Amino acid sequence: MVILQTKNLCHDFSGMKVLSQVNLEILQGERHAVIGPNGAGKTTLFNVITGTYHAKGGSVQFKGADVTRTEPYQLSRMGMGRSFQITSIFLRQSAFQNIRLAVLSRRKIRYNLFKPIDSINIITNETEQILRQINLYDERNVPASTLSYGKQRSIELGMAIATQPDLLMFDEPTAGMSKEETHNAVRLIRRLTEGKTMVIVEHDMEVVFSLADRITVLHHGEILLTGKPEEIKNDRRVRSAYLGDSEV
Amino acid sequence: MKITKGHFIIGLLLLAALAAYPFFSGVVYTNLFVRFLIFALFGASLNLLLSYTGLLNFGHAMFFGVGGYATALLLEHMPNAGLLTALFVGASAGALLALIVSPMLVRVRDTAFALMTLALNQLLFIACLKLRGITYGEDGVGGFSIPPLNLFGLVSVDITHPYNFFYFSLCIVGLGLFLMWYTTRTPFGSIMIGIRDNPNRVNYLGFNLPFSKTVIFTISGFFAGSAGALFALFQNLVSPDAVMHIQNSFTAIIMVFVGGIGTFIGPIVGAAIMTGLENLAVRYTEKIFLFNGLLLIMVVMFFRGGFVGLYNLAKAKWGSK
Repeated sequence: MVILQTKNLCHDFSGMKVLSQVNLEILQGERHAVIGPNGAGKTTLFNVITGTYHAKGGSVQFKGADVTRTEPYQLSRMGMGRSFQITSIFLRQSAFQNIRLAVLSRRKIRYNLFKPIDSINIITNETEQILRQINLYDERNVPASTLSYGKQRSIELGMAIATQPDLLMFDEPTAGMSKEETHNAVRLIRRLTEGKTMVIVEHDMEVVFSLADRITVLHHGEILLTGKPEEIKNDRRVRSAYLGDSEV
Repeated sequence: MKITKGHFIIGLLLLAALAAYPFFSGVVYTNLFVRFLIFALFGASLNLLLSYTGLLNFGHAMFFGVGGYATALLLEHMPNAGLLTALFVGASAGALLALIVSPMLVRVRDTAFALMTLALNQLLFIACLKLRGITYGEDGVGGFSIPPLNLFGLVSVDITHPYNFFYFSLCIVGLGLFLMWYTTRTPFGSIMIGIRDNPNRVNYLGFNLPFSKTVIFTISGFFAGSAGALFALFQNLVSPDAVMHIQNSFTAIIMVFVGGIGTFIGPIVGAAIMTGLENLAVRYTEKIFLFNGLLLIMVVMFFRGGFVGLYNLAKAKWGSK
């Protein structure tokens, strides 16, 4: 079953073409990676899908509904969760408070002005459960700004997970990480997305090939190829466009 | 923080001190204290926007002013309206104005937001000056009858007496401050703080940003309006200069900064300091803004956390010994 589909998606920034005729299909339950050289339009594609920009042409369909002009908060409510390439968390607040905000959203508690938040046990329990999943339970009460970069990235992922979306969109989750941090992050992502649908934009080939079920290669704003990791590895066009001659 | 027996006793002593205050201070200082209370409520309502949601509102006096005018005009034309009704109408007027201006305000950010609030404040100020048929222009609405406080038809308290008004405003301001503090502890309070720190992420987490901000403005407008209503009852006069003037907006902002931005108690401390300072300065000069301004400059340059921040610093340095 197709959960997300883009049809002839086009986007430009004041005339500069960034995406042209992108037809992407994400299947329910797969881990799908979008790769491509710098400037290929990966992040733009990501932002058009998640509602940051509205596409100049074509359409985006999510769970059968046209979401081309849908706002980010509505997409989130429909079950699309995303993380950010540049860490976008609540730095002045604790890991607990960060995750709790996402849990509130999932529980559809948006305008509750009547009950102290600390006394809503289901929220607290669910938040703590997610903190355990992302290995931050012991550091849940220190301000996020004092945590290491890798841990801040974990919060970033944790917030995306905590809304329990049907489709997870990860924008370069390992950006700026050391080798070891990347290794841990991949393990975390694999564990968190078990049985879930995920789209990941990533630079790091190791990450891509160890996580993805299918891969789409984007080049100059167009889809070059979609296929299984082995097919991508062995495709000559991909090699020349992106991988160069280096060993993969 | 756990509430211990010690806190309870301190609270009781504080309450007793407040109850006895008028009898020791006399009429002048009782009225000064009421002024402080009104501005504490007004400052705290601005603080919901400034400290908790990160919105710098330069026009908060419009909510205060509309609240004051609504209460004054109601009593001017319907002298038989009850006291609490009049107060509620003032507060609701503040909330209603917030609802009306929200569609404009939620669409802009940062500098544009600040200037938009400034412009709206000025617009209402001019409207109050020019719509003489309704507002009596520069003279303002004054001399309206102030109804007694009627408690369940059992007792009737004349609140034009300064001491009675002191207790009345103490209750109203206390209730208002408690409700605002409570708001910050609810799930919606968490969302407000989220909007302050990272509005973009709040949007992507599934919260409707414009609508959430509208709710915040309405709450803030309600309490600012109730402060204005209290002011109208206190002075028995509202005029453009007294309630709608941009100076009131600035005073509230200065109170938040001087008291300590980012804390709930900040504007209350700020209101106390500013009211006290004003009272001292006015003995020597009419130019009290000179002192207010100087204090603000000092705070911004040397202690950004305001007096609450200073207190916390001192506590961290000497308190733990």
